Amino acid sequence: MKITVLLSPGLHPLSGKPVLPRLEAQAIALGKSLGGVLSGLAAASCPDGVADALGHGLAQLDLIATTEGEDPMPLLAAALAEDGPKLVLAGRRSQGGEESGLVPYALAKALGLGVVADAVAIEPGTEPGTLSILQALPKGARRRVVARLPMVVTVHPAAPPALPYAYGAARRGTLRARRVQAAPGAPDAAPGLFEERAYRKRPKLMRGAGTGGSAAERLRAATEAGGAGGRVLTDLSPEQAARTILDHLAGLGILR
Amino acid sequence: MSRPRKDPRAERQARAVPGQRPRYDLARRPETPGGRPRHDPRVEIARARVPGGARLRLDRTQHAGSSPSVAIGAMSATPPASTTLLAAPTPRVVAEPAFLVFAVADAPDGRLTGHDRQVLGGARLLADADGGAVVLLAPPLVDDAGAAGADRLLALPSLGYAPETLAAALLAEIAARAPRHILFPESPDGGDLARRVAVSLGEPLFADVEQLSARTAIRPTGGRRREQAGAPPRLMTLGEGRVAPHLGDPHEARTIDPCEPTETTPGILRAEAVPADPATVSLADARFVVSAGNGITDFTSFKHLAAALGATPGASRVVCDAGLMPRAAQVGASGTVLDADCYFALGIAGAPQHLQGIAGCEHVVAVNTDLHAAMVERAELSIIADAQAVMPALLRLLAEGGA
Repeated sequence: MKITVLLSPGLHPLSGKPVLPRLEAQAIALGKSLGGVLSGLAAASCPDGVADALGHGLAQLDLIATTEGEDPMPLLAAALAEDGPKLVLAGRRSQGGEESGLVPYALAKALGLGVVADAVAIEPGTEPGTLSILQALPKGARRRVVARLPMVVTVHPAAPPALPYAYGAARRGTLRARRVQAAPGAPDAAPGLFEERAYRKRPKLMRGAGTGGSAAERLRAATEAGGAGGRVLTDLSPEQAARTILDHLAGLGILR
Repeated sequence: MSRPRKDPRAERQARAVPGQRPRYDLARRPETPGGRPRHDPRVEIARARVPGGARLRLDRTQHAGSSPSVAIGAMSATPPASTTLLAAPTPRVVAEPAFLVFAVADAPDGRLTGHDRQVLGGARLLADADGGAVVLLAPPLVDDAGAAGADRLLALPSLGYAPETLAAALLAEIAARAPRHILFPESPDGGDLARRVAVSLGEPLFADVEQLSARTAIRPTGGRRREQAGAPPRLMTLGEGRVAPHLGDPHEARTIDPCEPTETTPGILRAEAVPADPATVSLADARFVVSAGNGITDFTSFKHLAAALGATPGASRVVCDAGLMPRAAQVGASGTVLDADCYFALGIAGAPQHLQGIAGCEHVVAVNTDLHAAMVERAELSIIADAQAVMPALLRLLAEGGA
């Protein structure tokens, strides 16, 4: 099976230097575990960061040169249409640019593929031409999805860790500069619609804290233990107590 | 000089005791309001006295009415009277909306999540500024959508996990009703659906909004080094904990009929949920934690109980220090800070550091021998009993229910 891993230059969280995003290194490991012919595809203005993928187990990487701020979508779509991979693995979203996470979906739309998000494990399905994908959900839950090939799969941070970086493998791997003919992407729908400025950190709402009333009331609600308290039952026999607790938990939808 | 003048004669006359000869009760409190109320310790003790039981017990928690919520002996299945006595306010009706705002909810198994309620709160912000109406699009609900702030309720097809069909249904609604804004939660499923809809519409997505008002929406870009700000665009996903849920009057939540969606050939053939194994999931990820404190001595039963309830076992610091439970199970400031939906505390008094660890838990149930423990104060349901005696009863009832 032909597998393409989509790569992009990421930002180091501290220094801001270009690195290979962790999710994309994990995507390489996931693709290798599946077997088949694995190759990388990236659209970037310079190979910094992206080239590290060769050290993480990728044998071949195609790099499409772009100019700074160019939309990579049409170039990637044209290259993928030429290659025709069965499976495209990608991270959740690029780093350093718009970061809307639309590229995997837009590629799938352009090439007529299906999309499955947040994979932690992939294995061949029981029927031919399908894959069985384990999807990560919040709170440790999982979902097994059987989907038809070809498709785009994005990788979740809970996927198995990336292969360790190997200098020898990075030297042996081939990095090819690739040229594709593609119509230029649609220009920004309304340039200057949004003001670009330095990020300001904003606090999140405190879970359980009151949101109404004056500031003093909210502070009291946030710091006092539980306010007026709840139901207090004394002098119950253990059976009555157990019944009450189970009824309450069932009422909350906790007990299935 | 605005102080009222005193009239000593009238004051003296007000204290006159009726009878034959002139008598005045000068110790009597004047009837006029003002003045600090006098303490009557005997009355206060009588009010705080917890009836039943052999020894004198006083409930000195300073709640209104001193002890209205302490129910003795009999099982009181109804919630406290204060909630039932309140008259239900009449729902607000937006009959002729100037425009529509779509709020798309995940609502797994028909219950609105906290994040869904925040999305509805955000949609209300956008709608209320200009006389619009909020349409909640969700799978069939068991929760009250009107109280969460929805003017209209539109049921989406619930076919298990079928994002492609769901996106097609949403696209049909968007084409038919032309909403001004469409708000999604930036959750795994909600964010996935938002992106499917965005590429199908060919419109940009303002993802992971961190601040939302009727005039501006702000989202981070460039690795959280830059941000974009501007008037709220059409398609947005809202980050968790960014907008307060709707707390005002309920809305009518009138059900409207869905449109006929276009046929799609889904690439996803089938899906099955694999629930998290509560025994192995980490405490920080657990949705239901049952925790043992100093009131528990039988840890074999406790582990059986956790397994029978389908809960992740936790413990207080005292128990972990004694080596009775592993350190990884410790709940609290120096252990794990929980993000669970429900916390069930057995024999835990509730030290401040422990309560910090469960500050994020929505529901807390406690079993404790001490009526005045901080955990009893925090819990929504407290049983004043020996946890060691309640555990076997719970195990027995669960075994009967499972059989």
